[in-house]
Amino acid sequence: MALVLEARDIHKIYEGASGLTHALRGVSFSVEQGEFLAIMGPSGSGKSTLMNILGCLDTPTTGSYFLEGVDVAAYNEDELAEIRATRIGFVFQSFNLLPRSTVLRNAMMPLMYTACPKKERAERARSALRSVYLDEALFDHRSNELSGGQMQRVAIARALVNDPALILADEPTGNLDTATGEMVLATFKGLRDQGKTIVLITHEPDVAAHADRAIHIRDGKLAGKDCPVHTRDTDPMPASVGHDSIAGPGASPCGQAGHQRGGVR
Amino acid sequence: MKLGDLLYETWYALAANKGRSFLTILGIVIGISAVIAMTSLIGGIQNTLMGELGFAQARQVAISVNAPQGITFDDLDALEQMMPDYEFITGSTQIGTSVGTGTTTVENATIFCAKPEYFIANGSNLESGRLFTESEEKNGARYAVIDQNSVKEVFGSVDAQAVGQTIHIGNDDYQIIGVLQSSTLVSYGTMIYVPYSTAVQRLGVTDGYLQITGFVREGADIESVVATTTSTVARYFGLAGEDDVYVFSFDSIIKEMETTMASFSLLMGSVASISLFVGGVGIMNMMLTNVTERIREIGLRKSLGARRRDITKQFLLEAIMLCVMGGVIGIVMGLLGAWGLGAAVGAMQPGMTVVPAISLPVILGAVGVCVLIGVVFGYYPARRAAKLDPVESLRYQ
Repeated sequence: MALVLEARDIHKIYEGASGLTHALRGVSFSVEQGEFLAIMGPSGSGKSTLMNILGCLDTPTTGSYFLEGVDVAAYNEDELAEIRATRIGFVFQSFNLLPRSTVLRNAMMPLMYTACPKKERAERARSALRSVYLDEALFDHRSNELSGGQMQRVAIARALVNDPALILADEPTGNLDTATGEMVLATFKGLRDQGKTIVLITHEPDVAAHADRAIHIRDGKLAGKDCPVHTRDTDPMPASVGHDSIAGPGASPCGQAGHQRGGVR
Repeated sequence: MKLGDLLYETWYALAANKGRSFLTILGIVIGISAVIAMTSLIGGIQNTLMGELGFAQARQVAISVNAPQGITFDDLDALEQMMPDYEFITGSTQIGTSVGTGTTTVENATIFCAKPEYFIANGSNLESGRLFTESEEKNGARYAVIDQNSVKEVFGSVDAQAVGQTIHIGNDDYQIIGVLQSSTLVSYGTMIYVPYSTAVQRLGVTDGYLQITGFVREGADIESVVATTTSTVARYFGLAGEDDVYVFSFDSIIKEMETTMASFSLLMGSVASISLFVGGVGIMNMMLTNVTERIREIGLRKSLGARRRDITKQFLLEAIMLCVMGGVIGIVMGLLGAWGLGAAVGAMQPGMTVVPAISLPVILGAVGVCVLIGVVFGYYPARRAAKLDPVESLRYQ
């Protein structure tokens, strides 16, 4: 299968008031088309930094980041914006919807920054909203009239609307109760089944368990070999395996000693 | 980003902050309404005065001569020969006396004893009735022409039917045959015009003490005519000093008025531009607050693919829209104010109707100034928004 993204030896060094911070220390991994990957790590591990680089909001200090085969590590700000507008869909913990705009308007937002003709926008937004199973009656409601789960599904539809290569979800269930969170995760799975590539950042093992595979980041390095949480073609519900993989390299069934850091496929 | 999108986003943002947006644009509203009110009012007054003066009065030259030997109509004929720039030169005399209708008496009325051509030189406009003719003047007819103000003074109301009525001047009754429109520029209270010969015969006017009024030929340069007139008249009467001859044209008054109005406009303009500057700073302040409040939204937009220039455009357009909205409200308020002030002027000066001059270039200019203020004071906040780091902005609480 084609690689959607490939990170090669990514380092990120910040210059802050307290001196230099080495946030990422040589991260390498890759994600295939149609894969649902969870990136796990405690706060301060560098997972946010990694997500920002994957989302083309930031560039690595050194290393390469191939998105659909193109190295975007050295892109300038406008070029990155272009990539974000067309190839990446973001889902945030706090939804980040415009509260007084309608659901449809919110879902259409990214198209404003693309060449998509106006006539097509509403149609694309509608079909994105349908694919996250949002009730059509809600399309013309203001987004602040929705429940948290509905809001997050609008946000997912917004991430989908420009048919991105990669959907990046940053703690998408962090502000939701468990049941609603499950529903949102089920939505991601549904999208994965439609062939979308999803990278989910979380610190919750239960959430990561829904992904096909999880990688751990700790102190700016990938901790342990990334391992398939399950093989989705054969076993769609191996939640317990996912848990193990999160506990650390030692406890993971595929976390044997001697594994390479940063999976290369 | 397409213009339609920008406009929608701008509208969305401004509608979210209606109250604050309105307060912010007050400075612009006040500045623009002051400019619009003043320019249309001044334009209106100017139009009224000019309309009243007419083209005829612009060609009028009044000549005062301090000639000890007196001035007669023969002198005027001679001067007319000497100065071909004049279509004609005519003389008149004023006397002060009381007039009455039997029921009312007006003290201190000014009686103008004149020949018919005097009306032409004065640019008088008939409101109703007619003027006296040359033969009526020669024959000493007891006819009077009266102006609208005087109708009010004598008959109690401007609308009174004066033509055909009799008025008592001196020892005789005169029939009113015409009513002139009142001039707001020149007013001597109650003004009544009678034929010159009649005044000589019945009001004790003695020939030889005339005031001279000249009517310049069309197209002649009034300024140079005024200059040559001064020297010619001085030479004719053998007066050494030019202090004894004073020549005065309405043209110079008009020019003087234009200069006065222009400097007044300039003054108003500078006051208004201070207001606009302060308004612009207010807009900048609000836009900076706006940017800070909407950091997360900016971060979101950037994460969705907005480039720096998209963000710049969005915030710049917001500032421009604010200013233009202020401008439009200001234009409307200014025009209403001009109408109100015009009506007030009309009420203070009877017979003067001031219709504010609504000038399209001024209105377009005002809108243009608003756009400019928006650009000047909106650029810095917009750039600040555009330069925000997307990662930092998304994390901002």
